[in-house]
Amino acid sequence: MNNAAANKTGILERIRRDNNNVKLVIMMILCLLVLAAATGGKSATPNQLQLIAYLFPEMGVLALGMMLAMVSGGIDLTVIAVADLSGILSCMVMKELMPPEANLAIQLLVLLITLIFALAVGAVCGIFTGTLIARIGIPAMVATLGASDIILGIAVGITNGSAVKELPPILNQVVNARLFGAVPSTTIIFAICAAIVAFILNKTALGFKIYMIGSNKAASKYSGMNNEKIYTLTYMISGMLASVSGLLMCGHFNSARSDFGKAYLTPAILICVLAGVNPNGGRGKVSGVVLAVIILQMLSSGFALFQNISDYYKNLIWGLVLILVMIVNVTSERRKVWKG
Amino acid sequence: MSEILLEVKEISKHFGGVKALDRVGLTMKKGEIHCLMGENGCGKSTLIKIISGFYTPDAGEIYFDGKTYSSLNINQAIQLGIQVIYQDMSIFPNLTVAENIAMNYELYNKKKLVNWKTVEKIASQSLKHIGIELPLQETVGNLSVADKQLIAIARSILYNSRLIIMDEPTSALTRREVDKLFKVIRQLQSEGISILFVSHKLDEVFEIADYFTVFRNGKLITSQPAKGITNEQFVYYMTGRKIEEDYFQADHSDQDKTLFKVENLRLNNGFENINFEIHPGEILGITGLLGSGRTELAKTLFGMYQADGGKIFIEDQEVVIKSPVDALKLKIAYVPEDRLTEGLFLTQSIEKNMIISHIDSLRKKNKTLDFDRGISDSRKWVESLGIKLHELKDSIQTLSGGNQQKVVLGKWLETEPKVLILNGPTVGVDIGAKYDIHNYLRKLADEKKMAILLISDDISEVLMNCNRILIIKSGRITGEYKNTDLDSSKLQALITEEEGGKAV
Amino acid sequence: MSFKKILKRNEFYIVIIIIALSLIIQAKSGQFFTENNLVDLARSLIVPGMMASGLFMVIASGNIDVSFPYTAMLCMFGVTKLFQTIDYQGPVAAGFLLAAVIGAFLGLINGILAAWLKLPTLIITLGTCTIYLGFTQGVLKSSVISVLPTPLADMAATNLFSVRNAVTNLGSSMPISIFLLIGALLLVGFIMKYTMLGRGIYAVGGDPVAAERVGFNVKAIRIFVFTFCGMMGGITGLTQVTLSGMCQINFFDGYEMTIIAAVVLGGASIAGGSGSVIGTFLGVLLMKLISNNLILLGIPTNWSKLMTGVLIIAGVCISSYKAVAAERKITSNILDSKSGKEAAHE
Repeated sequence: MNNAAANKTGILERIRRDNNNVKLVIMMILCLLVLAAATGGKSATPNQLQLIAYLFPEMGVLALGMMLAMVSGGIDLTVIAVADLSGILSCMVMKELMPPEANLAIQLLVLLITLIFALAVGAVCGIFTGTLIARIGIPAMVATLGASDIILGIAVGITNGSAVKELPPILNQVVNARLFGAVPSTTIIFAICAAIVAFILNKTALGFKIYMIGSNKAASKYSGMNNEKIYTLTYMISGMLASVSGLLMCGHFNSARSDFGKAYLTPAILICVLAGVNPNGGRGKVSGVVLAVIILQMLSSGFALFQNISDYYKNLIWGLVLILVMIVNVTSERRKVWKG
Repeated sequence: MSEILLEVKEISKHFGGVKALDRVGLTMKKGEIHCLMGENGCGKSTLIKIISGFYTPDAGEIYFDGKTYSSLNINQAIQLGIQVIYQDMSIFPNLTVAENIAMNYELYNKKKLVNWKTVEKIASQSLKHIGIELPLQETVGNLSVADKQLIAIARSILYNSRLIIMDEPTSALTRREVDKLFKVIRQLQSEGISILFVSHKLDEVFEIADYFTVFRNGKLITSQPAKGITNEQFVYYMTGRKIEEDYFQADHSDQDKTLFKVENLRLNNGFENINFEIHPGEILGITGLLGSGRTELAKTLFGMYQADGGKIFIEDQEVVIKSPVDALKLKIAYVPEDRLTEGLFLTQSIEKNMIISHIDSLRKKNKTLDFDRGISDSRKWVESLGIKLHELKDSIQTLSGGNQQKVVLGKWLETEPKVLILNGPTVGVDIGAKYDIHNYLRKLADEKKMAILLISDDISEVLMNCNRILIIKSGRITGEYKNTDLDSSKLQALITEEEGGKAV
Repeated sequence: MSFKKILKRNEFYIVIIIIALSLIIQAKSGQFFTENNLVDLARSLIVPGMMASGLFMVIASGNIDVSFPYTAMLCMFGVTKLFQTIDYQGPVAAGFLLAAVIGAFLGLINGILAAWLKLPTLIITLGTCTIYLGFTQGVLKSSVISVLPTPLADMAATNLFSVRNAVTNLGSSMPISIFLLIGALLLVGFIMKYTMLGRGIYAVGGDPVAAERVGFNVKAIRIFVFTFCGMMGGITGLTQVTLSGMCQINFFDGYEMTIIAAVVLGGASIAGGSGSVIGTFLGVLLMKLISNNLILLGIPTNWSKLMTGVLIIAGVCISSYKAVAAERKITSNILDSKSGKEAAHE
């Protein structure tokens, strides 16, 4: 009986439950319309759009890690530092390993090893942060703030703050490649990461536990869950995602530096908040993050159309959007509560 | 004396779809000690919060000292001289005793500056007033629950208090501390201050109250002088039925086997010399006051605390329980004391709340979760425990307290525990669900041959459902009794009497 | 205060560490207890000390603010640019007043959002700080101002006194803005200790629900602490101008982390409800002592960021771990509850 009822209301019900995603889709369409109106039919030069298209996948991958931490009821301010450090370290490794005049296969092999190394660096950083939070019990905000300084401090210390340059060209080539001549490879990497995170959150026991621990960590413990392990794994995955993002940044700039990621923190959090990830934990969807990334990308493309707007205004606008989204989320949530 | 101080008329209050109060009334005279009674969840706390201005009522009015209000706000209530001592006492653990006490006086007088000499003077005067001595400069976080209670009282009597509301002030106190508290209350009464005393214990009504009022399910049941009421009447008012639960009798066929055994268990500062065993199919009760070590014992058995000495056996195998993870593996289940903070994931669905503890067993071969099986498992318990719900996907918040508690129980039963530990399983649960839960526990003992440990301060609950009862006091077990050898007044006396009494 | 109580205080241990560090530095270089070094140290405390005193209030109330360095930046450029544009020649105090007002306004925005939205204040202030940064860069189009307007330049050139180290022949002078630091510390100390507002801040930080029940206006208190922190940020921004004789966009880079670290090191719990202005000042002193003398302590300057991180973590590690350990232990003694309590009372 219950089943039949559930089936009948299935689709409508799901839309009702997913109203944040509905909101996001509406926003997306509005953005498109405004963009189309602003350009008055003549489309933006492909170059402008492409340039921005690269940046958002990196941000999106960072945001996925941030999202995991936020769903677990914390926040991960180390994502930037991890991206920078693992970018620097893995670029150094790549430079060491790459034989001169290697053929494509060998180059790709080295790139793969570099990626694995970057993931390992990210995982170690994440385990470190997760341990501070889970076992020593430092609040996530302070722990990741401190850990972020430590991780970034290592990056600055190793490089003296200067860039690691003259990277093997393969990284840049791969990052700038377009599959089938149209889809940027970074977008595909973002899609893969999003799929993996979605799989973890929706299909595995770990994902289930991350939602639950974010909802009530005491109840999680009283339900026999290993809270320490869940937190550590959460931050480990977040660190690994950050390291992927770091590698993408290095490919994009064709060098590695300890301050590349700096401008990405607020956008990463903005993506999460826009995606409907609850900063207090327990709620958030990968589909929301993907939609949020697309919307921000469109907004950003919009800016590119108005060349008289200085780049600096971007910060202003990201900040404003973040605050506005929070206001909208909170007020609509409260209205829901009032309605009963 | 006969002048009316407070009259609450026709007050109603809804939360979402739940009617917390339904046109209730309450009248108090000046200098009266009035007992407000009822089961948990009957609306007592809601009414207090309305009188103190924390909630706005949906309907009705409040008359206080000559004026009628449709609702009060917090500051208004304080200005009128209404003081509430909540169960959590609203004490600041990070501040000193003196400051905690003097805070109200200063806020009341709209002070802008703090004069530490005055603060200390006020605090010491106030403490002297109620005949208590406490270290003024001590940080309150370091003091005992009883001391915090006294600080809360000392704070509330300062200046212009007309009505002091005490929410279950005795639940954490020993008999001697209760006597001390009652002395303070009588002194306040002699100064013309009215006291609204919230409780669910009958003996306290007899002892202290002039008048009493009973609420049940948000409705006013009766309001009458405390003199002359009998125990049966009282139970009837409280529960609305002549509950005739029979005494649980364990099936003793497995008496030679021991399912769960504790030997000389000790937790530093918590308890020591704890010895007991539970046979299959038994429900063992442990009862004692708040702060007697009963919760600490329960948490230790579940691995939240690590015992500092002693042994635990399951089916004659010695086991080490270092964390709830170990407990879960060893098939020990624990229904916690505080459902809202320890038992439930309030922002999640009913289904997710049901499958959390056996989530790892829902893994398919390819490591993904079998949610279909999760749903069918949940359905099974919804049916078997009689959980009333609309849809499994709904938020757990849509359920009543009783149904929520059944979800917590169901979550654990799916893990097929051998040992089931319940800590205050029916706190805040309506009578019907309470009865269901009790029956279900009996069934688990009889049919599944589970070893059940029921820890509770609800005397009738322990008495009716446990075939053996241990009494814990200051971290030590002071007696073991068969339920059939006791009645509620005997058990009550055993729990509250001071050490050095006959039980030791 | 009894010796036992002093032993319990966090400040006591920071003082010991500070003394030990100074002795080590003195032993290694022989230059620590020289007039010019001490004046330099005092000078370097002014800006972080003022910021920390404002942030301390926010942290004591159980909130966090990462926007104050950007508030400082905005006020620094805003006021200096305005003075430049209108060719202002009046007293410099007007500039500080203006900076304070702008800073307070920016803080007020934080405060209202925090009180209203009830979301993590880290995220809220992260959002506003990006706005402030974007405003400074985009609207004010600022990155460097190297020639200051006369009132600010005059103040930059005015010193209380100058000292010269006879051995190294290095000179240092004490700026008059040291009074601003002293004033800020005294003001915050006074508010926190001797006003109901200050006690309310501790109360809200300790237990916001209880604070509301007792009758504190929790929202107003939240708004106040953010406004005050913003105001301090504004004043600090202009102070920095008079200290360095110019404006630069990266003056306050990474300050949010350093100052939070200093406040937490000073004994304020990030959860709120504890700490003191003296502790906060000592925390800043300790941070500066380390960062000014990294080389002497054998740490290359490149690794200073790492040091900040280690300090933050070390500072909170002990108290956090204590709390976790306490969760697994019983704090009040149940076993001896009776005899213990009676003894304490009588």
